[in-house]
Amino acid sequence: MKDLKHLIYFEDLLQDANNELIRQAQSEGMKCIGYMCENVPEPLLNLPGCFSSRLRAPRTGSIDVGTYYLTSFLCEYSRALLERALEGGFNFVDAVITPDGCTMMNRCVENMEVLKAMGEGKEGFFFDYMEIPMKADYNGLDLYVLQCRNHILKPLSENYGIDVSDAAIRKAVSEHNRVCRLIREIGDFRKSETPAITGYEYNVITLATYAAPKHLIIDRLEETLEELKHREPDAKPWFRARVVVAGSEVDDTDFIKLIEDSGAFVCADRFCYGSLPGRDVIELNDDENALTQICRQYMYRGECPRYMDTAKMDGRRAYIDRIAKEYRADGIIFQQMKFCDPWAYEKMMGSTILRDEYGWPVLAVDRPYSIGSSGQMRTRVQAFMESIDIKKIRKEAE
Amino acid sequence: MAVKKSRKMVNPSGIKGDIRYGDLYKPGGKVRKRREWRGVKDTLYDYSRWLGIMFTLGKFVAVPRNVKAMFRYRWMANYLAVPMMVDRHTQGLRGEYLRMCHTEQDLIILDVAKLLANLFRGDRRIGNDKAFSDKVVLVDENEMTAVMMGFPGLKGLSRETPSTYVSVLLNQHAAEHYIDVAQEYGLAGDVCPMPEAEAGVSIDDDAPVLGKCAIQCNTTCDGSLLGNGVISRRLEKEDGIPVFQLPAPLRHREDDVQEYAAEEIRRAIKFIEEQTGEKWDWDYYFECARRVNVATRCRNEWLDMNKTAYPQVFGSNLALYTETNYMAICGKVPEFEKADRRLMKLAEKAYRKQKMAAREYRHRAIVWGVQSHFYMDFLVWLLNCWGIVPLTDMLSMVNTEMIAETDTPENREQAYYDMAWLTENMIMRNRTHGGYRVLLDELFEFVEEFDADMIILWEHITCKALDGMHGLFEEKARERGIPLIWVDHQLFDPRVISRQGVRDQVNTYMRTVMQEEPLDPTLEILDDDNSW
Repeated sequence: MKDLKHLIYFEDLLQDANNELIRQAQSEGMKCIGYMCENVPEPLLNLPGCFSSRLRAPRTGSIDVGTYYLTSFLCEYSRALLERALEGGFNFVDAVITPDGCTMMNRCVENMEVLKAMGEGKEGFFFDYMEIPMKADYNGLDLYVLQCRNHILKPLSENYGIDVSDAAIRKAVSEHNRVCRLIREIGDFRKSETPAITGYEYNVITLATYAAPKHLIIDRLEETLEELKHREPDAKPWFRARVVVAGSEVDDTDFIKLIEDSGAFVCADRFCYGSLPGRDVIELNDDENALTQICRQYMYRGECPRYMDTAKMDGRRAYIDRIAKEYRADGIIFQQMKFCDPWAYEKMMGSTILRDEYGWPVLAVDRPYSIGSSGQMRTRVQAFMESIDIKKIRKEAE
Repeated sequence: MAVKKSRKMVNPSGIKGDIRYGDLYKPGGKVRKRREWRGVKDTLYDYSRWLGIMFTLGKFVAVPRNVKAMFRYRWMANYLAVPMMVDRHTQGLRGEYLRMCHTEQDLIILDVAKLLANLFRGDRRIGNDKAFSDKVVLVDENEMTAVMMGFPGLKGLSRETPSTYVSVLLNQHAAEHYIDVAQEYGLAGDVCPMPEAEAGVSIDDDAPVLGKCAIQCNTTCDGSLLGNGVISRRLEKEDGIPVFQLPAPLRHREDDVQEYAAEEIRRAIKFIEEQTGEKWDWDYYFECARRVNVATRCRNEWLDMNKTAYPQVFGSNLALYTETNYMAICGKVPEFEKADRRLMKLAEKAYRKQKMAAREYRHRAIVWGVQSHFYMDFLVWLLNCWGIVPLTDMLSMVNTEMIAETDTPENREQAYYDMAWLTENMIMRNRTHGGYRVLLDELFEFVEEFDADMIILWEHITCKALDGMHGLFEEKARERGIPLIWVDHQLFDPRVISRQGVRDQVNTYMRTVMQEEPLDPTLEILDDDNSW
């Protein structure tokens, strides 16, 4: 296929946490609010006057200092973020808001705070921590709303004078939804038998919407969508099988590239920093305040394994099954970042249930934060492709 | 900054009987060569208590269904090691300290024996007493059982307590099989082995099946929260036992989470009422609440004593008892109130006489972090080998506040918040969660309060909450000039770091950094890898 016009631009945005669009937005006087977890409702960080940036540590090399503070048993994502913060790589951020979602992320941010790794010379800089519900129900919703009010809206208003009114929130949701609709439309090309976009390209574009101010990226997303409508896919599919990648945080586009270089097409992305369900549109009505509606939708659609009620646990596996069917997958790659406790359990249960009860071929793998070109992972994916091929041949023979 | 100086104290009364405790170990053996000689009076007392334990065990095996359970459940074999566990914890103890230990441990043994008997009575595979089973609410091992404080007609039973928690106390190798089962099923090997072993028991279908319903809690950590999902799946989908998941907020010191927590308590109680048909009994609740306060008052006083030059209820005597009494008992068993009062009398008596539990006190230590479960008597070893007095430990630094204990309309409403507070502040999680202040800053406040000159920092290597403060612990200790000894371990799995591996970390630090010789060199290296 012909290269996408803006692919290199999007790739460049991902090369540096403090990318050019962040610098541009800040030069316009906007405040950059860093966050690390999908349980922080993104539109609330994109109110007029501020924008969100989901923190990543691109081009991670040594994480020795992060490992000293957090030990080698915490996930590399948290260690890489702390390392980057201590190096001064997040000094551009004007505030960090994090939920007590997983312990490792919480400790990572606490270390940043105690070590004063960020915020130097930034008047109004703050760290804040939220409690988020562990069950999706009315009580969880009340908590979620209260926490967002006390730990997002209040400090934004008090420290930076951000307008946190209902009207402002609705405006932010409207812009958020524009991005979500574009991403979803672009992603729908993956459903085709001969897709006009690769999983890698899609991953780069999606990730850029998390890492850059939304209002500055919309025009390029629109252009890309138009381009895809006319893009000629390869006559013969370049892949051997279509896979859903599910599981924990992935912000390393090389991981998706590696899977695709091994013969698979990543047709759906059910992982943190992915689009399913991270780029679901937020529907608002006029009968209820916007904050409550946002929290409700985040809570009920959330696929985070920290939700402990049975309905949510069952729902997580059913959701993967549903998108696997919708995106015409042949198999599922269930991945977890090494040392991630929540996803270690979810991977075990999810991969077993999807295999045994839903009948999907499943590859369960753990991986480092930054995978580069891992021969081991390549071999495992290739072997998985072969096993899917064999199953297909057997099925055809029957 | 200069290192804080220690003040050596020599016991003027000395210690009667054996003082070379390492000589009692049989290399490679499961048990020791012989019982410890403690002088005539204490040896006779200890022996009489040993007979008492044997009587408790004898009564237990006299019930046929309990014998049947021994052949059904792999973990039951560990209970052969009960007397040995008590011996490990009484090492070197004399006088009041020995009596404190037996007061606690004998009662805990009796309580666990009752728990086992009840589990097997209701177990569909063993006793199959359906009427009894219908009065059982299953609870987590690591869960405050506060929501059971108003149900006198129901039994809140934990299956994980005897299958994993107590089993590892009895036999260091008890959980290894279940850890392997979980990993063979696909669980990563870098998670905490406690929920991992509990999940392994469930995967292995090696837990009694009983109960009308179950209450699970997010308890201590991400691993516990997620491990519950493995267990609830079997309970709900295979055993037909409905489960209520009780989330206790992690940021438990924040005011804006308390209403959420209280509402979850209300819902858990409602769930139990609906499932069992029992009604919440406020009289019983406030009776239990009063007993919780008695336990809290006693613990507060013991901790106050431990701030003086003559600590009395400390080390294992404090740690193991607090874990049981605070969390599992939570005011529901009157015998524990009696034990609290007896312990208080013993402590006061010893305090008045300015008694010491060892020949010499060389260092006053705060023990922080999560203790190695397969080596719970490490605190006894610290005292006997190096003269390090474990003044208190992280798991004993739980709630110090009184809860409402008088039945009034206001207090009935307050009670939900009190139960929520206790649930949020169950052992371990009240320190490992709730922000770094409760784990990091308060440690150094306790160092000052207790006039400690050393920190023993258990680093349970797969406890992410503790690991995540590693560098900051080290930096703060350095800033304050407090010697900090890291003691790495893998909680339930001595294959990763053995008991000697645990001891070696202290030995090396004491010899090289502190330049000291042990109080009892026979304890420095022990061949106890095969020991229970």
